[in-house]
Amino acid sequence: MVLDTFEALAMLAAIFGILILGTTHLRTNLSFYSLHTTAIAAVTAWIANITHDSHLYLVAAAVFAIKAWVIPYFLNTVIKKIGIGTDSGAFIAAPLSMHLGALLLGLSYVISLQIPGLIGDPDSRIGSTAAMSILFSGVLLMLTRRAAISQIVGFLVIENGIYLFAVTQTHGMPLMVEMGLLLEVLVAVMVAGLLLFNIKKSFEHIDVSQLTELKD
Amino acid sequence: MTLNLHAVLETLGFTATFLLLPPLIVGVIRKTKARFQNRIGAPVLQPYYDLLKLLSKSETISKHTSWIFRSTAAVNLSMLIILAFLAPWTSFRPFDLASDLFLVIYLLALTRFFTVLSALDAGSAFGGFGASREVTLALLVEPSVILCLASLGSVSQSSDLAFVFSFKNMELLNQPGLWFLAGCGLFLASLVELSRMPADDPTTHLELTMVHEAMILENSAANLALVEYSHFLKILILLGISSQCLLHAVPYFWHSTELIRAGASIACILLMAVSIAVIESVAVKLRWTKLPEFIAYSVAMSIFCVFIALGKNLN
Repeated sequence: MVLDTFEALAMLAAIFGILILGTTHLRTNLSFYSLHTTAIAAVTAWIANITHDSHLYLVAAAVFAIKAWVIPYFLNTVIKKIGIGTDSGAFIAAPLSMHLGALLLGLSYVISLQIPGLIGDPDSRIGSTAAMSILFSGVLLMLTRRAAISQIVGFLVIENGIYLFAVTQTHGMPLMVEMGLLLEVLVAVMVAGLLLFNIKKSFEHIDVSQLTELKD
Repeated sequence: MTLNLHAVLETLGFTATFLLLPPLIVGVIRKTKARFQNRIGAPVLQPYYDLLKLLSKSETISKHTSWIFRSTAAVNLSMLIILAFLAPWTSFRPFDLASDLFLVIYLLALTRFFTVLSALDAGSAFGGFGASREVTLALLVEPSVILCLASLGSVSQSSDLAFVFSFKNMELLNQPGLWFLAGCGLFLASLVELSRMPADDPTTHLELTMVHEAMILENSAANLALVEYSHFLKILILLGISSQCLLHAVPYFWHSTELIRAGASIACILLMAVSIAVIESVAVKLRWTKLPEFIAYSVAMSIFCVFIALGKNLN
């Protein structure tokens, strides 16, 4: 398994995705998320470089600008305004969930060996391994964390995983579709961020495990 | 047997490097930290002067100590000198000594064992909790060091570190990812092993937090000089191994000459010293209960190394 640039970038994105799991400090989570998305933008730019597809450069730039800068910046201001710096407690201890994520990286390699269409092409196999491992990390984040901010980050990581899978398998969707998706993610995060303010105002915490208790 | 002048010169150069370099590394760390805090700071050569000063002082020994306390400093120093010959901390080695990776790891563990014994031997409360903290940290860090080195060894089909790090091993030529991850994992692990910042603050003597300083509190004068010097030597060896991993990740060094590699090894070690100083200036010491989270990052890196090695061996 000789790692060339494309595979190395995809695996780098997967590794940063797993490192997000390792701490409950929300700002560190966001900076790891930012690095993770930068790696994904670099993968996109590298595919554009290989396939000479000029619209993919645009997509890469948009991913970098919106997902690696605007969204983490916005969530950082939300964290600052709410005044909650760390996740109050994970259901699985943070180091343990990171190791679980690392094991799931191995599992996703095994799974990607089983996908019928990919067997002949080692390049897209590493790409799909990375994409699936990012999916798993996002799911782990959403399942094991209590703070609503971590749920948003988990959602964004899952979205990144799906995007990476699409871009490595199909070498990019049409520009309009990509831009629509990006806009949708941006709006979703904005809405979720505003919702957080309201949750914080009416419940005085953002612990999702306690949101089932009804209160007037 | 005819003496080969060239070989003698190389050996002398190598020995002089590892004997004289360690205090310089610590000097560089302290100077960089001082500049970060807007101080002029002590000169870079200050650790040498400190060691010389300690050697000329008169020694005080607790009367409760036994021969273990007396001999630990010498035992540790001699083991670390053996390690400096065996461990691949620089790409420049004048002789072909085989060095098994488990021998290297457990010689390091043996020095820790003797440090802990001597800390317990004096019977002070500080020595006791310093020793218990050191052993706890070692327990957490050891898997990551072993997994990083073992995955390198498994890819190159050899447990001989001299061969793994020799730039002759074609199995490892095109594995920048593996080398880089192993380098990062070992660097994070050596921060903890060397009692540097996220785990322990080497500049304070606060009983609630200190680890390494608590263990050597009873040592004084020449004894302390030897203990400090062995700690500096350990810094050189551990930083050297992780910097070698990072150097192997750059394909350029695989095709360059011996001289460039040797220079790059030394430069990379000094660069790592500077980066340690930067980390210590911008980061804070972690709370004791948060430390496993930090070490988990090093362990995660080593797990990725294992996966790459597995993937390589399965294909």
